Amino acid sequence: MSTLHVISHSPFGDNRLSSCLCLLGPNDGLLLCGDAVYALQPGSEPLKTLQAHNLEQRLFALAEDLQARAINSDAVNAVDYPAFVALSLHYDKVNSWL
Amino acid sequence: MAKSLLIISRQAPWAGPSAREALDIALAGGAFDLPLGMLFLDDGVFQLAPGQQPGQVQQKNLAANLQALPMFGVEELFAAGSSLQERGLPADSLSLPVKVLDDAALAALIERFDQVVTL
Amino acid sequence: MSTLTVGTRDIALDKDGNLVELGDWSEDVAQALAEREGISLTAEHWEVLSLLRAFYDEFQLSPATRPLIKYTALKLGPEKGNSLHLNRLFNGTPAKLAAKLAGLPKPTNCI
Repeated sequence: MSTLHVISHSPFGDNRLSSCLCLLGPNDGLLLCGDAVYALQPGSEPLKTLQAHNLEQRLFALAEDLQARAINSDAVNAVDYPAFVALSLHYDKVNSWL
Repeated sequence: MAKSLLIISRQAPWAGPSAREALDIALAGGAFDLPLGMLFLDDGVFQLAPGQQPGQVQQKNLAANLQALPMFGVEELFAAGSSLQERGLPADSLSLPVKVLDDAALAALIERFDQVVTL
Repeated sequence: MSTLTVGTRDIALDKDGNLVELGDWSEDVAQALAEREGISLTAEHWEVLSLLRAFYDEFQLSPATRPLIKYTALKLGPEKGNSLHLNRLFNGTPAKLAAKLAGLPKPTNCI
């Protein structure tokens, strides 16, 4: 059973992202939205950590949240809301890190 | 068969309503006989620290409420070993009979439940 | 809000008829609350009421029906810890009514 983990908090001053990476299964996906997309800030520590995990096709971010925060990252699959919905159906379950 | 739910509680009892809300989900689900598990992660493990005196800061006794989980049929209780270790909480001192899991076992735990929510 | 008069004491009740102040409870208060519900308390009632007060002491909350049954079975045995026995004693709503008579808050998560 695969899980899509959804995080919306900034990785700076919050450890949701690092905890999530600790328990991410091999088939799990990670979707960043809201301030969580700051994890993709070029040159930042969270981005290095993310890249070290080699998530590749399993790492997603909401396109509009990236654009709103002026984050240009080719390290992530940018998705719109319909694609977000499709993803949440593709995975067996969704774990929202509230 | 009802879908099983894993509740991940990762806030300290004093950090706002999250710890209480996670417990309320567990108690409500247990009262309706849903198959539930509860995992204490990150600062959530501080909920299990022995000897807390919440009355000193005019709070309800969350630790006492947590003891009721087995009575509500919630017997699958877990804590993240790495979170305990980071915070200097010995596994044998905890106020609730939890099973301590390493990081690899956490992924397997989440895998096993139909639904999961993290508060 | 209403008031229950027991002897010379006036005791405040909330809108559901539960005690506002848990410390107001006494056996006489329980008798008076039971009368309002048309129940005359027997030894079998009393043992459940004292069990509920022990539950509240231990866990700081009032049990819903399932945990009440489980706790009763654990402490008094399965012939008393079952829904038939508890429903018969407390007019079919044991968690709600027994909590009220034991002077506890209304159970959370109780339908």
